[in-house]
Amino acid sequence: MNSTRWIEQRRHAMQVSALAAGALALLAGSAIAAPLVKECAKDGKFIIGFAQANNAEPYRQHVNDDLVAAAKAVPQFTLQIADGAGNVNTQTSQVDNFITQKVDLLLISPFEAAPLTPAVARAMKAGIPVIELDRKTNGDPGKDYTAFIGGDNYKIALEAGQFTASKLLPDGGEVAVLEGLPSSTPAVERLNGFKDGVKGNTKIKIVAEQAADWLPDKAQTAFAAMLQAHPDIKVVYASNDMMAAGALLAAKGAGKDVKIIGTDGLPGPAGGIRAVASGDWAATFTYPTGAKEAIDMAKSILLDCAATVPTNVTVPTLAITAANAKALVGN
Amino acid sequence: MSDSTPQLATPASVGKRPQRVDLLAVAVRFQSLIGLALVSVGGIVFSPVRHGQILFLAPDNIANIIRAISETGIIAVGMTFVIITAGIDLSVGALLSLSSVLTATMMVSVGWGLLPTLLTVTLVGAAFGAAQGLISTRFQLEPFIVTLAGLQVARGLALVVSGNQYINISYGDGPGLAPPIFAILGERLFNNTVPVATLVFVAFAVIGTIVLNTTRFGRYVFAVGGNERAARLSGVPVSLIKISVYAITGFASATAGIVHAGQFNFGSANDGTGYELTAIAAVVIGGTSLFGGAGSMIGTVAGAVMLGALANLLQLNNINAALQLLATGAIIVLAAVLQSLVRRHEGGSR
Repeated sequence: MNSTRWIEQRRHAMQVSALAAGALALLAGSAIAAPLVKECAKDGKFIIGFAQANNAEPYRQHVNDDLVAAAKAVPQFTLQIADGAGNVNTQTSQVDNFITQKVDLLLISPFEAAPLTPAVARAMKAGIPVIELDRKTNGDPGKDYTAFIGGDNYKIALEAGQFTASKLLPDGGEVAVLEGLPSSTPAVERLNGFKDGVKGNTKIKIVAEQAADWLPDKAQTAFAAMLQAHPDIKVVYASNDMMAAGALLAAKGAGKDVKIIGTDGLPGPAGGIRAVASGDWAATFTYPTGAKEAIDMAKSILLDCAATVPTNVTVPTLAITAANAKALVGN
Repeated sequence: MSDSTPQLATPASVGKRPQRVDLLAVAVRFQSLIGLALVSVGGIVFSPVRHGQILFLAPDNIANIIRAISETGIIAVGMTFVIITAGIDLSVGALLSLSSVLTATMMVSVGWGLLPTLLTVTLVGAAFGAAQGLISTRFQLEPFIVTLAGLQVARGLALVVSGNQYINISYGDGPGLAPPIFAILGERLFNNTVPVATLVFVAFAVIGTIVLNTTRFGRYVFAVGGNERAARLSGVPVSLIKISVYAITGFASATAGIVHAGQFNFGSANDGTGYELTAIAAVVIGGTSLFGGAGSMIGTVAGAVMLGALANLLQLNNINAALQLLATGAIIVLAAVLQSLVRRHEGGSR
């Protein structure tokens, strides 16, 4: 589980600063601590392996695109992406393959936390720094893996809820929620965030709440049924863009004008940004990819021989509404 | 009578086959071994070399390959029995998921020990399979339909048992903790080289090979698939054999589910999706006929390893996942075409 090197490093940090708590203390220790990797150099050649959870999800493809673009800007880096295809066994074997290949740094978006934890531990043990993107494995950043970079699902949905409470429905009304895959962490966090966000406005009632497993077709079916049962629904919050697209079809089918909020804010012709720009949806809240931040961190580890990096980086969301969507759609 | 039931229940035309066909038949019989050899050679030739070592042949890498296929491999061993009887079992992936959920629930929520859990889960798996076999034979339904229904039932049960949650397994003594020994399924033995999951698969494959090739039961399985009527007339308990082979896939799926839970420290109702297709692919590539009556366990194992080696090689070379699917698809078609050619040359009516 532990990299002995890491423990030693931590001990160094402890000696320097008695108040070794979190990243600040680690920074304090950086003056004497060894670099995070054995081989680092400004002009080196490095392979970064990215174990992606599932390429089939549009958001994850968006992450891949961002990462490829960010890595291309660094001539020293070669990025290899493996698609875990939504299968913990496949993803584990891909991480193992990266370890065999002796990649210089591992990026991973684990499909699920506990199952990928041992594989991440093996990588750390092999001396490969691990940056977790968007999803975490079990344990602590800075110890069981090098760092975590990602958005905060709860906060993103909280903002969506607050936006609903103050901007879309200041006078209250009926609201429906389309939830992601019930057992998955982001689904739960986004559900709770949104619910907490609308709490500020007591006139808002969540009348329907159903899981559509992140899928547009399921969302369409579910939302059509919701509209049958609750014809007065004014706003539907979809926990991802794809379900928002499904909700739009259902609303059109029922001839209802419902305000739709998506999540993820994906670019491209089928993404949420365009849907907001064209007026089909009221808003979508980006789930940041963290790609740029991840490649920047890789640079400081592999090129600048950093001894420490911030262990927990939260990338903020961006609210995409009618006000800014048109300007963003081109990017 | 039973002891002399031929292992390969070929159609009537034995003796008139021209030599050329025999060569083809031999090639098909060993197609997966040949395929595996080809992929291995390709692996050695195209493998990236780092620090002077051919990565594909690194002991770590070989262990990775076999670990990655251990779950589908275990299922494929069971599936070989079913397909030799001209049946099919689509419920295996869902049953794996149900078994992983049951394993996690029993140990974590119910607080059962290791042995009772393993026994119960494998028994439930075998019973689930047997029930499908029974329904299929008793009501003369296509196993395709019965096991398709079984897939839904198993997935549904898994969702119900898990309460729509992932059930994480933590280890230790006390309530809510699983026996630490169970975590061994995720470990690697012998100086951190051989994954335990791989050993389970190897044990399964060895036992499967022995049962299929050397026991009376194995011969009956071939007989039922080769010519059910003839088998029945010769006193083979056809229904019982059919029920048994589904019990075997059920047992195999449950074992794979246990391995899954142990390797990944959790039970999930969403896992194992598509495993039935990977397992069937391994069996078909292994030279077992979907029409029944002919097949080989070693072929299945080689087929499974070949698919794993191919996936590994493509990743080592950073070739994208889409090509992997294309390659797998092409190999399956090739395997099926070869079988069909053999059947036609043999003049079989099937």
